Amino acid sequence: MELEVKRDRLVLRVRANKWEWTIEPRYWRNPLVYVGLLVALPIVVYFVYPSLLATIINANLLAAIAIPLAWMTIGTGRVNFGPQFYIGAGGYAAALLSIHYGLHPVLTLIVAALVGLAFGFITSPLALIAGGLYYTLLTLLLPLVFLEITFIYTGLFKGDVGLAGVAPLVDTGRFSLNIFLVALLSLAMMLIYMFIIDKVLRSRYAVQMAAINDDEEVANSMGVNVNKVKIISFAIPAMMIAIIGWFYAHYYGTFAGITFLPLVFMLKILLVIMIGGRAQIYGCIIGGYFIAFLEMILIRTMGDISPVLFPVILLILLLALPEGLFGVYRKRHYREYLPTLHVRR
Amino acid sequence: MAEILKVMNVTKTFGGLTAVNNVSFSVREGETLGLMGPNGAGKTTLVNMICGSYAIDSGEIEFMGKDIRKLAPHQRCKLGISRTYQIPRPFPELTALNSVVVSALCGKDRHDMALDDAATEATHYLEFVGLFAKRNILAHDLTLYELRGLELARALATSPKLLFVDEVMAGLNPVEAENAVGLIQRAKEEFGITVLWIEHVMAVLMRAAERIIVLHYGEKIAEGPPEEVANDPAVIESYLGAG
Amino acid sequence: MLGVIETTIVYTLLMGSLYLLVAVGFSLICGVLRIFHLGYAYIFVATIYLTWMFMDLLGWGLVPSIAAMAVIQAGLAVAIYKGLVSRYMKQEELIITGLLLVAIIIEQAALRWYPIQTGVYLETTVIPGMTQIGATTISNQLLFAATVGIVVTGLFVLFFLKTKTGLAVRAISYDLYSSRVMGIQVERLYIFVMILVLIPVMIATLAVAPVWAVDPTMGWGYMITAILVVVLGGLGNLKGTIIASYIIGFCHAFVSFVVAEPRFMTLSALVVVLIVLIVRPQGITKTESLW
Repeated sequence: MELEVKRDRLVLRVRANKWEWTIEPRYWRNPLVYVGLLVALPIVVYFVYPSLLATIINANLLAAIAIPLAWMTIGTGRVNFGPQFYIGAGGYAAALLSIHYGLHPVLTLIVAALVGLAFGFITSPLALIAGGLYYTLLTLLLPLVFLEITFIYTGLFKGDVGLAGVAPLVDTGRFSLNIFLVALLSLAMMLIYMFIIDKVLRSRYAVQMAAINDDEEVANSMGVNVNKVKIISFAIPAMMIAIIGWFYAHYYGTFAGITFLPLVFMLKILLVIMIGGRAQIYGCIIGGYFIAFLEMILIRTMGDISPVLFPVILLILLLALPEGLFGVYRKRHYREYLPTLHVRR
Repeated sequence: MAEILKVMNVTKTFGGLTAVNNVSFSVREGETLGLMGPNGAGKTTLVNMICGSYAIDSGEIEFMGKDIRKLAPHQRCKLGISRTYQIPRPFPELTALNSVVVSALCGKDRHDMALDDAATEATHYLEFVGLFAKRNILAHDLTLYELRGLELARALATSPKLLFVDEVMAGLNPVEAENAVGLIQRAKEEFGITVLWIEHVMAVLMRAAERIIVLHYGEKIAEGPPEEVANDPAVIESYLGAG
Repeated sequence: MLGVIETTIVYTLLMGSLYLLVAVGFSLICGVLRIFHLGYAYIFVATIYLTWMFMDLLGWGLVPSIAAMAVIQAGLAVAIYKGLVSRYMKQEELIITGLLLVAIIIEQAALRWYPIQTGVYLETTVIPGMTQIGATTISNQLLFAATVGIVVTGLFVLFFLKTKTGLAVRAISYDLYSSRVMGIQVERLYIFVMILVLIPVMIATLAVAPVWAVDPTMGWGYMITAILVVVLGGLGNLKGTIIASYIIGFCHAFVSFVVAEPRFMTLSALVVVLIVLIVRPQGITKTESLW
């Protein structure tokens, strides 16, 4: 394995394969500006209005779930309607290890990631054999059945109430500083995911995924290992989503399946993608912040009617803006996006 | 000349219909073998079986001395088998360039090839078929003739040893047809590939092929040089009917 | 031992017939209309809580409330079709998300105004009392519901196989474009089917309401069963749905009585469905047709 730094690009060679990445300053100008804004936000909020930090964390985490989900969608050519299944897997793994064995969050992270990867591999055949509505229904079922299992084995999973006493991510002694650091951590996590998936969607794998989505049989005849692409596009995003489950467990200090596994949570994630702008991953960030802040505003202003109002507003938005917020931006500022990937059913 | 492909007693049935019945033949390296037969004779089914899209019910297929019956289509492609499709099947939402990039990247285990390198190689193939100017146009916006060219470029980009060309003539006017034939001949010479050419139109194969095999209702009824096959009474009967 | 077998058989038939009512509508919508109606769960919730609303808010009797509820549900189905489904036929993710949102809106509304503590109870018992069958006693109401289930499903099958409208619906399920070309009134038929599938669900929910617990989140439990039955039986295939209902019924009964672990009911059904899918990805039936 060797890494070569040229004037405008990075070249990585592993055995017989070669990967190239552009690192020209102009190429990075826009992204750096936006990242700067995203980092400035929690810093400003910390000093001005600290209670908003929780909303920012929610926004970052929602986006961080939606981003690998976009990869899973494009890579398998189907929409997974039960991503919260992996949140449950990662979250419970982290919570159980932390409570019963007192493992440090970094260790539980490793285990949660491995659990997520394992669950991802075990469930990946769904992407190979099931298609269309069958896939939708089965992925929809998985988290609901997971929830059933947590109720069956109440002794272990503590049913409705959930597990409590999970170690916090950071502990500086000062509560507001803790939240601030967690906010920065959530932002870092989301940005790392964004970076990874952005690279994947510009890489050789992206072209293969686009070919598979267009015509799977022909892609297979042209040398694309369809099954391998689908399994990897399923298992690795599953692992990334499970890591977010780990984050939730250590952030809240508790983990209950009933919070994350039912459909309400999945709908939030789905709406982040829809309202943010379909398989456009930058739209996921906008969607995440939009949904998180909308929910917060509704809860603070409308009180207990907000659980009803929230889906109503989202329904109106969904119908009024079918191409999502980022889609509206894209229509105004059209640029050449390579390659535009489509999801087939 | 070595035998690059050996098909032995291959049979395929769909429900009650025997599409290919006990067909055996071999392809020698570097030749152009024609595969003829009226509609429904089983030509495309045979190609699908060799390329891996269909499983064979019985028989053996050997490519370069290896038994390929258990290999998946993409593995056969990496070994050196490639094909075009009778009705073009491009990747509709990909540009012409990206369509060829896919096969350039995946068709063969390449050393030291990044995405940009694959794109460069793809442009060479596009230029060969004359589509360089249309490289950034989405595949579903191309004309039939251009799509045929794209199919050929895509198949060639996998660096095949054996190329199946499936009914290139259909739907083309005489000028386009001439160009298409010439293109395949040039491809053969320039890239050193063996071609198995499925075609309806006898006239084309008479000129282009060194040997012709004729299928009728899934069975091989003739094999030999073009003049011999053209005058074979069984072949004439299969096309024109008895009497 | 014999008692256990008897009980298992009785409950297989009972549950299977009830699941028929729950799943047949779902199968029709997903398979025939090809609308991924993932918000199906709302029908259960709406049935109970709309009826209760009329009784509680306006003081109406049971029958008028049910009638009013049926009218509103039909109107809701039409509104959903016109506002959501027909506008976005091509963009299925929008339809699915929209339908799910509708289901959640209704569920959250029910939770907000009639939370579990309010003790919603509908006295819809048609045949009171219990019957002794073999080693077990079953509420007559459930038997009644099961019988109704079989009858309604039989009517559905007859309708789709023997009537002109049924034929038209089958045509739509095969090929929408050709059906339009042939002059079939697709819009009207879609609305008709959407209202039609409300009927078995309403009957099922009203019938079991006095026997089994009622709460705003009840829709999802039925939905899981409907999904399992339909995936197992093949989307849109009535024969498959019928067979699958009884298979799942048997599965639940077996786990509840032979294995004696009723907690594992849903999980075992899921495992069975997954195993069948691995062997036969399109479900137990061979074709994607209605019968």
